[in-house]
Amino acid sequence: MAMQFSDTTFLACLVTSILPILSFGLIMIFTRENPKLSLAISLTASTIPLIIAWGLLFKYWGIQEPLVYNLRWLYSDMVKIPFGFLLDPTSLLMLTIVATISWLVQIYSIGYMGGDPGFGRFYAFLSLFAFSMLTLSISSGLLQLYICWELVGLASYLLIGFWYEKFSASEAGKKAFVVTRFGDVGFFMGLAFLTIYYGNLEIQQVNSAAVAQAMPAWLITTAALLIFCGVMGKSAQFPIHVWLPDAMEGPTPVSALLHSATMVAAGVYLIARIYPFFSASPEAMTVALAIGTITLLLSSTIGMVASDIKQVWAYSTVSQLGFMIMGLAAGSFFAGYYHLTTHAAFKALLFLCSGVFIHHFGTNDFFIMAAQGGRKLKIPMVTVTIAALALAGIFPLAGFFSKEGILGALAHLDNKIWLFAGLFGAFLTAYYSFRVIFVMLFPREPIFQIAAAHSHAEEAHGGHGHGHGDEHGEEHGVPWVMNLPLLILAFFTLTLGFLQGALEKFLTGHAGHHEISIPLLVSAVGAALAGIGLAWLDWGAKNAKCVGFISRVPVLENFFIQKWYMDHFWRWFLNTIIYGLFSKWFTLNDRRVVDGGVDAVAFSTVGSGRYLSKYQTALLQVNLLFMVLVMAGVGLYLVMGR
Amino acid sequence: MAEHLTNFPYLTCMVLSPVIGIAIILFLKEEQKFLIRAVALVSAAVSLGFSIYTFVAYDRALGGLQFVEKYEWVKGFGISYFVGVDGLNAPLLLLTGIVIFTGVLTMWELELRVKEYFAFMLFLVTGVFGVFMSMDIFFFFLFYEIAVVPMYVLILIWGSTRKEYAAMKLTLYLMAGSGLIIPGLLLLYATSGLYTFDLLKLHGVHFSPWVQKLAFVLLLFGFGVLAAMWPFHTWSPVGHVAAPTAVSMLHAGVLMKLGSYGILRIPMYLCPEGFQYWSTLFGLLAICGIVYGVFVGLAQTDLKYVIGYSSVSHMGIVALGLATGTVDGLNGSVFQMFAHGIMTALFFSAVGYIYDRTHTRDIHELGGFCKIMPVASAFFITAALCGAGVPGFASFWAELLVFISAVRVFGIGGLIALASIVVGALFALRVVQNSFYNEPNPKFTHFEDVSPFLGLPRMILIATLILFGIFPSLMLDLIKTAVVPFVSGL
Repeated sequence: MAMQFSDTTFLACLVTSILPILSFGLIMIFTRENPKLSLAISLTASTIPLIIAWGLLFKYWGIQEPLVYNLRWLYSDMVKIPFGFLLDPTSLLMLTIVATISWLVQIYSIGYMGGDPGFGRFYAFLSLFAFSMLTLSISSGLLQLYICWELVGLASYLLIGFWYEKFSASEAGKKAFVVTRFGDVGFFMGLAFLTIYYGNLEIQQVNSAAVAQAMPAWLITTAALLIFCGVMGKSAQFPIHVWLPDAMEGPTPVSALLHSATMVAAGVYLIARIYPFFSASPEAMTVALAIGTITLLLSSTIGMVASDIKQVWAYSTVSQLGFMIMGLAAGSFFAGYYHLTTHAAFKALLFLCSGVFIHHFGTNDFFIMAAQGGRKLKIPMVTVTIAALALAGIFPLAGFFSKEGILGALAHLDNKIWLFAGLFGAFLTAYYSFRVIFVMLFPREPIFQIAAAHSHAEEAHGGHGHGHGDEHGEEHGVPWVMNLPLLILAFFTLTLGFLQGALEKFLTGHAGHHEISIPLLVSAVGAALAGIGLAWLDWGAKNAKCVGFISRVPVLENFFIQKWYMDHFWRWFLNTIIYGLFSKWFTLNDRRVVDGGVDAVAFSTVGSGRYLSKYQTALLQVNLLFMVLVMAGVGLYLVMGR
Repeated sequence: MAEHLTNFPYLTCMVLSPVIGIAIILFLKEEQKFLIRAVALVSAAVSLGFSIYTFVAYDRALGGLQFVEKYEWVKGFGISYFVGVDGLNAPLLLLTGIVIFTGVLTMWELELRVKEYFAFMLFLVTGVFGVFMSMDIFFFFLFYEIAVVPMYVLILIWGSTRKEYAAMKLTLYLMAGSGLIIPGLLLLYATSGLYTFDLLKLHGVHFSPWVQKLAFVLLLFGFGVLAAMWPFHTWSPVGHVAAPTAVSMLHAGVLMKLGSYGILRIPMYLCPEGFQYWSTLFGLLAICGIVYGVFVGLAQTDLKYVIGYSSVSHMGIVALGLATGTVDGLNGSVFQMFAHGIMTALFFSAVGYIYDRTHTRDIHELGGFCKIMPVASAFFITAALCGAGVPGFASFWAELLVFISAVRVFGIGGLIALASIVVGALFALRVVQNSFYNEPNPKFTHFEDVSPFLGLPRMILIATLILFGIFPSLMLDLIKTAVVPFVSGL
């Protein structure tokens, strides 16, 4: 152990992990009321990990043997939990992604959250998040990963409910925590099975071939599926994706950092992290593939009809996460993970751009933004278009390469239905993202009518969306602290695609052997272009009617607007099953049966006492008679007993 | 178990310090409020100091029973004053020390009959310390009764919300429990043939199977009442609600642990075959308690009832850990006794501050307290998150150990108990959302936030939870020294 503390790499990991949590503690206890000092602490605690993360990535670029450091944390009997770090290509890349986006968002928030009364608290929560997410990426054991996973969920809860006075925000925070908890319990059960039947939760051990010998196949499948429950919760997969769109109640930088780029990707990262274990169970892989596909289609269709810009990107996030899981489950570790990487860049960019618009116009409705001249904000408008192109999968942006990778993996499967689903999803993605772009870029006449109707509805609702938009009513430009992260992310979106080969070599150890399949390429690009084309016809063209093609089928449109009735289902489940059935009847039972039974005993005691008291008549004769009888009895017993 | 005699009577000092405090308080006048409080605080602090010392100075490599003091008392009956510390009671002594110290601080603002109040509270805590350290069954039971009796008075005089009913109910329940404990203890005493109440000597006796089964079940239910074991739990939420803040803290934080500690120390220790026979039932009741507690708590609207039912659920986790009879389970269980004690003390302490000002605990009437008193709210929210099983707090580790071993031993039952923690999260966050988030209730906006001095007890409790949450080994390595030999005897 002493050896480890002199190892610079270990110390670097330790600093990366500990600095942000120190920052959280310092801000919460001491400097909460002082925005400048809080900002300084938090920025220091995110800049140093950023430097370390990039330093480690460069230092260990091309690393073959993973580095493992473990400290003793909790050693019970069968349950042994070390605290440690595992550095290998998978974790190094994630560490870098998280540190980078986390830093960019902290910079961006200087502008976005400036003047908010909870500024210090906001940075404290961001630090808490940074701590948990950075430590999650480099955890050496699954239980440590689970602990960070829960802490990430806590940070998410606190940040979604950051504007807690708003009922919708506090409700969304609670929903996010409870729904992801739902999945996490499955995750924990999976870990319990692994502990009991395998006895080791070290990631390297779980990934080794020894698992297959220690556990029968059905048990591996069970454990993998249970762990997958956790993935479904955190990465918002059907049917427990419902928390993520609501999570948009949080401040937009939070949506960019947690609910698109990093935290929700943790589920995908978990599969990638234990990919050898996970892929040992074909059944689990098939289930994951199916869940990913359903999620992709479900959320893309909902994204087509949303009018809140953050809702569109939220559903887009859900669908892209589904897409990543499809890639992993189709057997390509690299495709899924690579899409995670590129998605982190362009989706964070999309959200941060939207944040600029929201901040500027004080609304979340992109029709209203368009009507008020959203395209005049040059830098955000250009960068949002770049990000949307990447999301749609247009050459030569990052999204093109990673999407192509996943579609390639799907094409390798025997059943072509997955490929068609993937292509259809790509088509829908291109459509809904360019619906937003065209509306914003070329607001046609009907848009203004829609915007007027929407702003009317918003007023009737008593305002909606951003908490402090109105305070910034005066015209002002976009501060550089908000523009800079956009430009950096746009740079990554433009360049990450060309790093595909290098990243693949780094992650998988061998260069990609891509036989470029022309039909696949054509159909992938074709799907994207078809989506953009249709969006143009519906929303962009001069004489466009500005109604989605889907409104020709009102039944379907309504189904999508109602979000496939998933929210209704869960609301029903909570109210009827949890509150209405279990909670209510258990409470009644407690009051009537358990407590009632005891009270009945008490009352009958009182009653029998009252009855017996009738014989306490204070008549001397009766009392004397009783005494004589008793004494006679006792005497008789003593005499006879001898 | 090896016994290591001490050269200084640490434990006697620990238990006598509150007694001396009572003696001094009795000589003070009711008007000398500050002095009374100060005496109570100092005597609590002395006990706390000794409990910290025994916790830290306990030699983990040596193990066994340390700081032992042993004096014969009534030779004919085999009663001796025999106290000692091992891995099972060291955490609980520390817990008692922390809770009484913070409890006195929490009640600093009390104005009604201050003298009697602190005297009774110190009397109660004397009993608690005594139970935890006694290795002689007679003294164990004596202290046990000392701990239970003041509760009646404390609730009756300083309580609120149906206090007469609650005090009577609580006392009757606990007396019924004692009614089961006495025959159980006497059965063991009589059948051992040794005429001794010495726990370690009795451990050497091999009781016949039927004695073990009978004694185990008597003691299980007898102590189970105090541990709020389902279905004997209904006294506890009612009692928590009626009791004044610091009494709730002591009651839920420490007194309920007497029950679970009693089960561990006497029936499980002396009747291993009885334990084997009844463990399934024991586990089943524990699982019922865990699941049932969260669901009933979900329907409550009084903050203290909510906490009361969360205690029922969390004490179910303690019982479940005991019922597994594994090293992990027992480690987790003892750890949970400590963690839950601190957590629930924090809960009641945080609610107490708010209730003292608003005079309501209805979660629908409160609201937006994060705006009104951010610090006081942060205390409650921290406790709620801890109760929801968020990592970083001590209780997380305890629950982790218990649940893993419960899944191992009870299979589906363990999984069901584990699944209920989702509801547990909903349960905690629902309360937080209703009372602390959203728009503040204008009726309460003029209240001031908690001052640093009044916040001190809550800070101590939070710091303890986080300390053992980040460094669980500090606690677990100590518990393990006792649990490993204990389990090998099961």
